[in-house]
Amino acid sequence: MQQETSSIIQTVLDYVASPIRALQEWLSEYLPGDEWAAYLAFAFYVILILSGGLGAILSRNLIRAMLGLVLTFLGVAGMYLLLASPFLAFMQLLIYVGAICVLIFFAVMLTRNTDGGEESRLPSLGSLFYGLLAFLAPLAVAGPLIVMYAGKVQVETPQTVPSGKLGAGLLSSYVLPFELISIILLVAMAGAVYLAFRGYSPKRSGDDQ
Amino acid sequence: MEISGISILSLVTIIVACLLVIALMVVNALVMVYVERKGSGFIQRRPGPYEVGPWGTIQAACDAMKLLAKELFVPANVDFFLYFLAPVLAFLPVLALFIPIPFGPFLTTLKVPDGVVLILAFAGFGLLANLLAGYASNNKYGILGAGRAVSQGVAYEIPMILALLAVVFQTGSMNLSEIVEAQGSAPWRWNFLCQPIAFFIYLVTLVAETNRAPFDLPEGESELTAGFHTEYSGMGFALFFLAEYANMLLVSFVCATFFLGGYKGPILDGFWWTFIKAYAVMWFIVWIRWTFPRVRFDQLLNINWKWLLPLSILNLWITAVVIKIV
Repeated sequence: MQQETSSIIQTVLDYVASPIRALQEWLSEYLPGDEWAAYLAFAFYVILILSGGLGAILSRNLIRAMLGLVLTFLGVAGMYLLLASPFLAFMQLLIYVGAICVLIFFAVMLTRNTDGGEESRLPSLGSLFYGLLAFLAPLAVAGPLIVMYAGKVQVETPQTVPSGKLGAGLLSSYVLPFELISIILLVAMAGAVYLAFRGYSPKRSGDDQ
Repeated sequence: MEISGISILSLVTIIVACLLVIALMVVNALVMVYVERKGSGFIQRRPGPYEVGPWGTIQAACDAMKLLAKELFVPANVDFFLYFLAPVLAFLPVLALFIPIPFGPFLTTLKVPDGVVLILAFAGFGLLANLLAGYASNNKYGILGAGRAVSQGVAYEIPMILALLAVVFQTGSMNLSEIVEAQGSAPWRWNFLCQPIAFFIYLVTLVAETNRAPFDLPEGESELTAGFHTEYSGMGFALFFLAEYANMLLVSFVCATFFLGGYKGPILDGFWWTFIKAYAVMWFIVWIRWTFPRVRFDQLLNINWKWLLPLSILNLWITAVVIKIV
């Protein structure tokens, strides 16, 4: 009986999808091959990343700047989806939006964020120059490579790697970098605990018992 | 007809499913408001709503009409853009959250391979929305509520993930449909019996993650008037309200899928079992709201960091060892 229901629903869905299919066929004549959707998604994600980044830099309000950052993370997650790695995309959202941005928000809220603060002033000429330098440095490395290899390298369509295989890889052939990264995180955590508890004595804090 | 891995057909499926989920959210909110008010009346030995309609059944619909017709009141000096973004941001991600939930053997939007991670990833947006609401409404109660929401949400997310991870270890898959398939039809073959600690931790954290009593500190009425949504009226408040009930529904469905055998039941498998189990969990949430008093904030964080987190890590470790041996 479930088979019958499923085939009926499949037929209904096919019927509903038919105008969209017609639209897609009509569009595919004007766009390069079957890849038009990928190009469209790529353009959308690039716009998300760039506008988010600009919002993060140009905003005079720290919370709005953080929202720009969230938008950029969303765009990057979309790029991961486009590269057929949904696990990385979801992890990007889980860690960067769900944890890091929320903690940044917490830190901002603990400070007094008035409009006359230091962050609302225009940067000096010197820091602008260094910013430009930092922007151009990767471009100087990547630019010639892009020009040299443009149109010569064929890249295959990315295949989705099941997350089980990903985990097995992290714990076998890539175990050293994986463990080194966790040591770096441990060092950062120890530093945070040290900074937070510097000058702490148990006598002064005890009102919870 | 493949577009980067997703066929046009599944795109249509997603759109249809989103519309159905919106309908489910609204109906669920209406039903649960009535059930909650009648249930709390029953527990506290008072009648609950009884004036509007037979046994007060139309009360929730009248409340909804009132909220729709109310004036949108915006206090002075709010961050206008963020103030209106927050309720929308609370409401929208819920649509994505229901995509991997297997309501029935066929009634699943998409059998996403990493369904658990998808749910956890988009659940983070709800917290962000609460924060933005508290910050943007230019109100000290709002900011205090938002601050509490962060420390509570970030803290309780960790044991929740670890509890779900124990079941994922056991099944060997993050696909919610496969997790249901790995459980049997008979109640003693559901996961809550072989993962009792994970089940207990999940039940505690689901109450905390949905900001419900006894862990409703971000909006504790007696201390913060209404916490992060103090300054919202009319539809702004209604959207937060809808999102809260939808989140309750979601954690109940996840609980039914992971621990209570999903759509499998003693007689005749099907989507009705998922709904029966999910609404049993919903009733559990309402029940403990009127059973336990609200905890203090330091108690709330101590329960999490000193008890639930070590317990969930221990449970994960035991699960891993048992799987390795068996």
